[in-house]
Amino acid sequence: MKKYIKHIVTITLIAGAAGLYSCDKTVEEPQRVGYTPANVDDKAGSWKTYVLASPTEFSVATPSSVSSTEYQAELAALKQASASLTQEQQEAVVYWGAGAVYRWNEIARELAARYNIPPASNAEGKYPVPDANNPLADPKFPFANPPYTARALAYLSVAQYDALVAAWNYKYKFKRQAPSKTDATIRVALPVSSIPTYPSEDAVVAAASFTILKAMFPGEVPFLEAKYNEHKQSRQWAGMNVSSDITAGNDLGLAVAAKVMGRARTDGMSAANNQTVTSGMIETAKAMGLSEVWLSQETPARPPMLPNYGAVQTWNFDKAALVKLRPGPPPALNSTEFQQNIDELRSIQKNQTREQARIANFWADGAGSYTPPGHWHRTAANASHEARYSEVRMARTLALVGTTLQDAGISCWDVKYYYYYPRPQQFGLKTSVGLPNFPSYTSGHSTFSGAASAVLGYIFPERAAEFSAQAAEASVSRIYGLIHYRFDCEVGLKVGKNVGQYAIDRGKADGSGL
Amino acid sequence: MKKLIITLVVACGLAGTAKAQMPQDAIYMPKKTVCAALMYGHSSWKEYWEHTLKRENYNIGTLTTQSVSLMAAAGITNRFNIIANLPYVKTDASAGNLMGQKGFQDVSAWLKYKVVDLKGFSVNALAGGSLPVSKYVPDFMPMSIGMQCRTASGRLLLNYTHPKTGLYVTTHGTLTWRSNISVDRDAYKSGDKVYNTREVNVPNTYDIAARLGILRKKWQTEVWGEHGACLSGDYIARNDMPFPTNNMQATTIGWYGKFQPKNIGLNARVGYVIDGVNAGQSTSYMLGFLYQFNW
Repeated sequence: MKKYIKHIVTITLIAGAAGLYSCDKTVEEPQRVGYTPANVDDKAGSWKTYVLASPTEFSVATPSSVSSTEYQAELAALKQASASLTQEQQEAVVYWGAGAVYRWNEIARELAARYNIPPASNAEGKYPVPDANNPLADPKFPFANPPYTARALAYLSVAQYDALVAAWNYKYKFKRQAPSKTDATIRVALPVSSIPTYPSEDAVVAAASFTILKAMFPGEVPFLEAKYNEHKQSRQWAGMNVSSDITAGNDLGLAVAAKVMGRARTDGMSAANNQTVTSGMIETAKAMGLSEVWLSQETPARPPMLPNYGAVQTWNFDKAALVKLRPGPPPALNSTEFQQNIDELRSIQKNQTREQARIANFWADGAGSYTPPGHWHRTAANASHEARYSEVRMARTLALVGTTLQDAGISCWDVKYYYYYPRPQQFGLKTSVGLPNFPSYTSGHSTFSGAASAVLGYIFPERAAEFSAQAAEASVSRIYGLIHYRFDCEVGLKVGKNVGQYAIDRGKADGSGL
Repeated sequence: MKKLIITLVVACGLAGTAKAQMPQDAIYMPKKTVCAALMYGHSSWKEYWEHTLKRENYNIGTLTTQSVSLMAAAGITNRFNIIANLPYVKTDASAGNLMGQKGFQDVSAWLKYKVVDLKGFSVNALAGGSLPVSKYVPDFMPMSIGMQCRTASGRLLLNYTHPKTGLYVTTHGTLTWRSNISVDRDAYKSGDKVYNTREVNVPNTYDIAARLGILRKKWQTEVWGEHGACLSGDYIARNDMPFPTNNMQATTIGWYGKFQPKNIGLNARVGYVIDGVNAGQSTSYMLGFLYQFNW
């Protein structure tokens, strides 16, 4: 007996010690790789742009002909650049080969997640406001909360889209084919389509994305610059673009994004955190009969998140439509309807099921995440990738989804501060997901999700039911997380769908025929 | 953070307790005897280390973790014991609106074998493991009651007990492998990177400890110090919440005592975290009721 035990213990210890270091704990993520687009979208050069007056607003010089000595020299240089790659270069080729728009959208979401942390209160009990001119100080700039992230991603997608429409115009005007089609001895590392390569769509997207993101995340310029340079270089390592393709694309992307940033500077965002407007809002809500207005539940009380975001410029409708989108008032706090709704939350708090907690957690997208707008951008980017969309069509998808998400945010913030309705936590509820610091009615998650799912359902009709079910789950998740009444969610989802319709109408009329 | 405390109290100190026989001592239940223990644990912190920044959180106030554990140590032979433990854990925050969590946490077990026994000096080898027994949420920190890891530990424990006086000194070191976990969300940030998956890498841990005490037939008293830390991991970003990937570290000092005149006895343990990283500065105590019987 004793002998056996000794052996058992020895074996267990050795196996245990080996197990400690041999067990592979690498986290596996789904990998995205490049593809030949299902449709080259050769007419995309005439699709309707958002900020550009026309696809030809910025000119691109006529490229040298493929038979010119100049171009032959470029081919020779490309052949050399792509002949033999280091491990790092190969990885960069595969990474960027998954898609230019796809990767920059992913990068932007990651930045949003890094910056989505509310500032800490200081010794005086105040919350310092992040400073764009000192972005890495504490608190870091920006606080990439859902409205901020919705806007950053909307501008990113619009700049990519407008720049790609312009690029497509020139691609099919000049029709310079891929370098490897002129010189078959060039080693290509990625699938080559029939899309003309001058100007390079990758350089266009890299330049446009870099321009937008360095403005939105000014503390990340070195990080973004490295990505920007690697992206452009990767196209040469992959044997996909000669240097004039890259230069022309780069210049076009920079010019288009600079114009898009012009809109960003005057869209009202700089006044979105104007806290002086709240006293008027509270008065209006009280005048409509609200007996108890929203109050920050944090200690010390935190000023509400971006109370004037509802005044920021919308994308797919005007101010009059914004007011029209505003739903009717929430139930009075002394009404039976309110009582029923708060009772529902109290009952969930008492007996929250594991499935309710799972749904609440899955859709929480709270501090430290890429926010609900980021979640829907991810869904849209993945759906576009799975449908093997061309760069320009993927950008169109993300621009439609991205602009409707910011519109949804603006509309929802307008409603939230118009009604100034208290959160369930003002009546003693706890939360299993964390409480956002702004009024309750209507639910932001529901509005974002209603709008994005409607637009995605239009773009991918075969998946419409799936997106609609996701939106419904995202909406109800806020009830399960105990931070919204059911009416906040139901009304928010409905308004979101109405917001989405404006983007759908635009998509139907943008010349794509889609 | 609280999780680290649980790890230290429950895993390192597996029970932080019990009779003559714990995973951190050189005491063995005689063959065919069992010591069962019912223990109550209480741990709380008001200040914590956000990475290395010591701070309070007015929206948490004091975070309290309470547990009730059932533990048993069985003598298979005089120098081979098995110890098992199952805690029920409950958390509460005194301020803010984060919902407390509760449930059965992880069942754990240790095999303990005296490899060398020479004139009061002993070398003891221990192998341990734990498994979650309920589907508690692991990443609603600091309210979560645990991390959902499966763990496997190897521990080497050295002891010298002066045969006449019962004065003893014990030291031990442990390596713990912790499995990756699956969270409810399908994307999360760790370090500066967003991972598009439900799978989360939870770092492995080590701990070291030293104990000095007196062991008599009916009682025991001991002062101890422990240091537990992860072997890798990220840190809590400024004003962010903790996450299972964090490299949590804590140095704890405390006292342990036992009084067991017959087959029924009591034990108690207090601990105080004197330094930490990504962890709460906990004060903890445990009280146990011991019952020994033959089988």
